[in-house]
Amino acid sequence: MSGTRPTLQRAPAPRIETEDLPAPRLEALPDLPDPQPKAAMGMPALVGSGVAVLVLGLSGLETSNFVADEFARGPLLGWTALGVATTGFGLVFAGFWREARALGALQAVDKLRADLSGPNAGRRVRAARAWVRDLPEAATLLPAIDAINDPDAVLALLRAGPAAALREQAELLGRAAAVQAVAGLAAMPSPGLAALFIAWRGLRLVRQVAALHGLRPGLFGTVALLRRTALSAGAVAGAEIAANAAAHAVLSNPLLQHLAGEMAGAGVAARRMVVLARAADAACSPLPPG
Amino acid sequence: MPGGAAPVNLISTPLNWLAGAAGLTRTVRVGVTGLSRAGKTAFLTSMAAALLARPAPRFALAPLGAGDIPRFDHPGHLAALAADPPRWPERTDSVSLLALTATIDQSPLPARRLRLEFLDYPGEWLLDLPLLRQDFAAWSAATLQRLRAPELAPQTGEFLGFLAGLPGRAPADEALAAAGTRLYRAMLQRLRQGGMAFLQPGRHLMPAPGAEPPWVEFFPYAGGAPLGGLLARRYAAYVDAVRRDLASPLFADVDRLVVLADVLSALHGGAAAFADTKAALGAAAAALRWRFSWTEALAALTELRLPPRVIERVAFVATKADHVAERQRGNLAALMKALAEPGGASTGTAHFAAASVRCTEDFVWTLEGRPVSAVRGRVLGQSVLTRSYPGEVPDQPPDASFWEHPFLALPEFEPMRLPDGGRGGVPNIGMEAITRFLLGDVL
Repeated sequence: MSGTRPTLQRAPAPRIETEDLPAPRLEALPDLPDPQPKAAMGMPALVGSGVAVLVLGLSGLETSNFVADEFARGPLLGWTALGVATTGFGLVFAGFWREARALGALQAVDKLRADLSGPNAGRRVRAARAWVRDLPEAATLLPAIDAINDPDAVLALLRAGPAAALREQAELLGRAAAVQAVAGLAAMPSPGLAALFIAWRGLRLVRQVAALHGLRPGLFGTVALLRRTALSAGAVAGAEIAANAAAHAVLSNPLLQHLAGEMAGAGVAARRMVVLARAADAACSPLPPG
Repeated sequence: MPGGAAPVNLISTPLNWLAGAAGLTRTVRVGVTGLSRAGKTAFLTSMAAALLARPAPRFALAPLGAGDIPRFDHPGHLAALAADPPRWPERTDSVSLLALTATIDQSPLPARRLRLEFLDYPGEWLLDLPLLRQDFAAWSAATLQRLRAPELAPQTGEFLGFLAGLPGRAPADEALAAAGTRLYRAMLQRLRQGGMAFLQPGRHLMPAPGAEPPWVEFFPYAGGAPLGGLLARRYAAYVDAVRRDLASPLFADVDRLVVLADVLSALHGGAAAFADTKAALGAAAAALRWRFSWTEALAALTELRLPPRVIERVAFVATKADHVAERQRGNLAALMKALAEPGGASTGTAHFAAASVRCTEDFVWTLEGRPVSAVRGRVLGQSVLTRSYPGEVPDQPPDASFWEHPFLALPEFEPMRLPDGGRGGVPNIGMEAITRFLLGDVL
């Protein structure tokens, strides 16, 4: 030890200095998006996929064995069996392909809606452009979107323009379905058939509205669409008064009024068709609720 | 409560449910107050941008209907910050209102609608609120006592000399009143340039738009009538205008409050400026009703009125925290706490060090052979980086030894580039914690 005590170091004197080289404007570090958790397959999907693989795989194996046997018996029988099997499986796979495309289209709507309602302004504008690109009004709307370049204003423009037109057409379909529901109920001989008729008409209405939006759902696509429609029904429930008014307008025909007055539930069925059309429109539209 | 742990509110949550069930819109009014140049407009712009960029609940600018208060120019201020080169928002010269609405999902209960209202106004006017509780004589005595501090002599000498030259019973002469007001205003400007903050009345520094009414021309005067009488009448009319235009419409219905202060600039201003800022902050906080008072409540009930509303949460925010390194921001929040509530923190208050618009990045600077945490950014109008280590921030009001070393002036840095032109929010420090504390129970 030298005998000298260590002294506390003083903090350096404050200072401000300018660097020599030019530097770009500072930027905040971008917030990286959270990785999307991959949705695991649920139990029904797992079981359904397994059954489909078993049915298709085993029947495919069985069919190929059968075709091979037929070729062993004779070329004509073999080629005929191969043709039948190819046509049959081709049709089945074409059906699957159509279902997959329809489900893909529905998921694309979900993704567009998520992008349009998300916080990323650039992504919102890009999603708006992507949706508008397939619409008949694209030629006029795309330059307008480029000029506005403000997501909120773009959404307002889309709500007031193409979305309003689609909603109006969906309501027309809903009113037509309401008229048919009231008239059809009058013709049904039993309550069971009446319920079946209303269910069928409702399903058809949902598919009609989906077609309006460019969607062609198959069996699974329709189930998925019905689920979305049920979810979006809550969002349009606030339009109950408007639905009542529309149903009243539908029932303005004296004959239909008489029928609706005579039959319990006819008015309710008419109103449900109108609400269903709105819910289906909301489910098929990529625009988030305003 | 630094960090902003929001208190549990046993009233707000049931209120939210009821509002949702009844389909009503709940309105929460947030008063953003602060001394002049504390950054209120930038704070409001940043908070609104952050709320508008939230994924859930989604906020939108609300229509203002046919109300009296002008709209806060949020798009304009945001565009100024996002511009290249950027500009800071213009100084606020009048009151404006920013309103946002959101629909908040609370399934399985019905969704509820929320309306947030924020008020912006010139910071100079905040210090008009303490005038409501003072008469002219008391205000004059207190003001003149502050002005006679020896260290302020260079700025105050001219005005105090004018006062000393007035005869004991000066006539109520218009020319005398105008000359005194002119000298007093010039003195206030000099004091502000010197870093002082407790400057009253506010409209002498930031006049209201339009032609000035005669009652604005007054100055502190300890002499008697006739000149004293004229000045006292004008002071009373001024106080009435403050009550009518500022206190009643703006501060009477505030639910949450933000008090901003540029503590770092006060440290740079020196001992006198720091003490002045402390006094101004104390006076402003005392003038705002944010503690429940049994005496006020009983007085109101005896007059068959409802008790005055109490501000539920108050956030004291030391602004421009990006001008010091992260290591020092804890001290800055602690210093804010010591300044705002010398008696200790009370329920419903929290203290923050924040930068509503971030301008700098942290880096390690080797000075005199030792590494120190510093910040760097581009000063407005320059294309090179400026490094800044203004000094150490104390965690308590500094003693005399602190003032022996200078705390350097804060460079006027330019804002960081705004992602997506500001639509993705404004780069900031600590705004999320403030939002969580102020609005956590209603969001």
